[in-house]
Amino acid sequence: MTDFPLYPIPRAALRRLARAALPAVLAGLTFAAPLQAQTAREIIDRVDRLLRGASSHGKVEMRIKTEHWSRSLEMEVWSLGTEYSLVRVTAPPREAGTATLKAGQEVWNYLPRVDRTIKVPPSLMMGSWMGSHFTNDDLVKESRIVDDYDIEIAFDGERDGVPVWEFTLTPKPEAPVVWGRIEEQVRKADLMPTWVHYYDEDGTLVRTMTFSDYKRMGGRLVPAEMRVVPTDKPDESTALIYHELEFDVGLTPDFFSLRNLRARSR
Amino acid sequence: MTDRDAVWWRVAWRNLWRNRGRTLVTASALALGYLSAVVMVGLTDGMSAELVENGTRLLSGQIQIHAPDYLPERSMHATIGGDAGTDVAALLARIDADPDVMASAPRLYGGGLVSAGERTEAGLLLGIDPEREPRVTTLLSTMDGGRTPRAGAHEVAVGSEMARQLQLGLGDEVILVAPAADGSLGNDLYTLTGIFHTGTPAIDASYAVIPLPDLQLLLAMAPGRIHEVALDVTRPWDTDAIATDLARRLQGSGPPLAVRSWRQLRPELAQSVDLMDSMNFLIVIIIFGMAVFGVANTMIIGTFERKKEFAVVRALGSTATGVGRTVVYEGIMLGALALAAGALITAPVMWWWHTAPPDLSWFVGSFSWSGAQWRPILRVEYSTETPLISAAALFLTSVFAAIYPAWKATRVPPADALADR
Repeated sequence: MTDFPLYPIPRAALRRLARAALPAVLAGLTFAAPLQAQTAREIIDRVDRLLRGASSHGKVEMRIKTEHWSRSLEMEVWSLGTEYSLVRVTAPPREAGTATLKAGQEVWNYLPRVDRTIKVPPSLMMGSWMGSHFTNDDLVKESRIVDDYDIEIAFDGERDGVPVWEFTLTPKPEAPVVWGRIEEQVRKADLMPTWVHYYDEDGTLVRTMTFSDYKRMGGRLVPAEMRVVPTDKPDESTALIYHELEFDVGLTPDFFSLRNLRARSR
Repeated sequence: MTDRDAVWWRVAWRNLWRNRGRTLVTASALALGYLSAVVMVGLTDGMSAELVENGTRLLSGQIQIHAPDYLPERSMHATIGGDAGTDVAALLARIDADPDVMASAPRLYGGGLVSAGERTEAGLLLGIDPEREPRVTTLLSTMDGGRTPRAGAHEVAVGSEMARQLQLGLGDEVILVAPAADGSLGNDLYTLTGIFHTGTPAIDASYAVIPLPDLQLLLAMAPGRIHEVALDVTRPWDTDAIATDLARRLQGSGPPLAVRSWRQLRPELAQSVDLMDSMNFLIVIIIFGMAVFGVANTMIIGTFERKKEFAVVRALGSTATGVGRTVVYEGIMLGALALAAGALITAPVMWWWHTAPPDLSWFVGSFSWSGAQWRPILRVEYSTETPLISAAALFLTSVFAAIYPAWKATRVPPADALADR
C-alpha cells in the first residue's frame, strides 16, 4: 500500500501540514537555490519526513455520496505521527460516539449502541471505512513513500497558468503496495498538492483525489477540502472538509488506548 | 404384409423353436442385458438425483428468484422491487400458486462482522423466515444444538466452525456489525440460540442466520425488502422448464424478476449431473454392444447348422432374399421375446430397488462431493426414457445380430450344400 495520500484522516492532515510547512522550512534554501534544483525524491522525502513525530487535533466533516444514499458525518480527529490515530463521530446523533482507533497495524471500532469494542479482522481490512470510499486498510498501512516508490518528475511547467510539478510514483519491485502507479500534481509556489491519481497494476485509473480550499489552519497553509472519486462510479465521492485543525498538541501514545476509544466524550 | 411374407414369418417362428434351448438361452441373455441396462442407468440416475437433492436441499433450493440486477454482484441494494421493496406476502402467494412449487422462502443477505468477546470474524448474515425456510432447505435441521432463532427476540444461529473460532456456546452474546443500506454502520447485540453443522466448511465457517425482520432492522431496510426467494419444486429434473414457466407466470404484474434453476445457479453441480448422464449412454452402448456379438454368434451357428435346410428350400425354388428374410425375422421375434421377458423381470427389480434402496452409509459413511453432502444410498430412479431407449437398443441388437447370418444364408449354394461339398 502506498503512503500518505491514502490516509484520509489524520495523515492527510499531517501531510497538508507538512506541505504547508515546507516553504517555511525551506525558505532559506529556496531563496538561494530554486526548488527545481532538488530531485523529485528529495522533495517527496522532505514532505514525508516532516510528517513524522507531529501530532494534530482537528474537526472534520466527511460527506459521502453514493448511488443509494448520501450522508454527512462530523468527526473529531487526533493523531500522533503515522502510528496512532483516533477518530470519533460527533454527529449525527444516531452515530455519535462511534469511534475508530488505529494503533500500529490494528484497527478497532467502538460501537456505542452496544457499548462494545471490536477489532477489525484482517479479512475486512479492504472493506469500506464508515461507509466511505476509503478502506480500513487506508487507515493502517504505512510506509515511507520514498521506500516503496521510485519517484520522478513527469512534468515541470505550467498548467492553466500555474507552475506545477507532476510526479510519477512507481512501486519498487518488492514493495508491499496495492497500486500499480500513482501520479501527483504539486503547485510549485506553495508546494500544495492539487490532485493524486491512483492506478491499479493494469494501469487503469482507479480513483482520483483532488485538493481545494487552501487556507491557513493552525498557523499553516493547508488544503481544507479533499475529495475522492472512484473512477468506476464517477457520481460517487467522499469529501473531507477540515473545519478546525491545530498542530503539535502534545499527545502521547498512551492517549491512543482502548479506554480512550470507549470514552463517550472528551 | 403379404401372404408370402406371412409364410416367412411363420417359418421363422418355427425355426426359432426348432432349438428351444438355444433360443431360450439367447433370449435370456438379451433379457438380462435389458435388466442390467435399465438398472444401471437407474442407479446413475439415482446418484445424480441424490446429488441434485443434496446440492440444492441444504441451502440453495432448486430455483431462486432475484431482482434482475442482483446476480452476480449481489449488491445489497439490488432487492426485489429495487429500493422501494415489494409486497413480500403477495409475491410469495403468487409464487406458491404455481402448481409445480412445493414451498418458497424469502431471504435477505448482508455482509458484516460477527463478534464475540475478543474475537471477530467476517460473516455472511442470512435473514430467513423461520417458518418457511425449513420447508425449502435443510440448513436449520442440521442444528448441532439449540433451536432456530425467533423473530424479534434478538437471536442468532451460526455455523459450527464459526462458533468454534469465536469460542461461542449456546446462550452467549454475539455482536453483529454490518454496513446498512443508508450508509450507517448497523450494529446490535444478539443471543446465540443455535449452532448448525452442515458438513460443508464454507457454510459452517461463514454463515450467521437471523430472522428476516431482525436483519432488515440491522441493515436499515424496510420490511418489503428481500434479495431472494428460494423454492422447492415438484420435479427436480425439470427445474429448467419449471423456472421458465414460473418466470412467464410472474411476468407482467409486480416487480421484474429473474428466475433461475439450480442448473444455472450451480453450474458445477449441473456438470456433474451431465457427466453421469453421459455415462448412461456408455452403459447402454457397452451392454448391448456385448449382446450384439453374443446373439450374432448364436445365430451364425444356427444358420450354419441349417445350411442343408436352406439349400433344400433354395432348391425347391425359394429366392435368396426369402431365405435371408426368415433369418432376420427370427432375430426380430427373438428380440420381441427377449424384450417381453426383460420387461417382466426388470419391473419388480426396479420397484424393489427404488422403494427399498440398500443404504451403504454403514460401510462408507457420508461424504462431501461437488459442494454437496452425499449419502451413499444406492437408489434407482425411475425414468420413462431409459426403458424405452434400452428396448430400442435391445431390438436393434437382435435385428443387427441377424443381418450377417442372414446374408450368409442367402449365399448358401444349394447344389454344393446338398452334396456336402
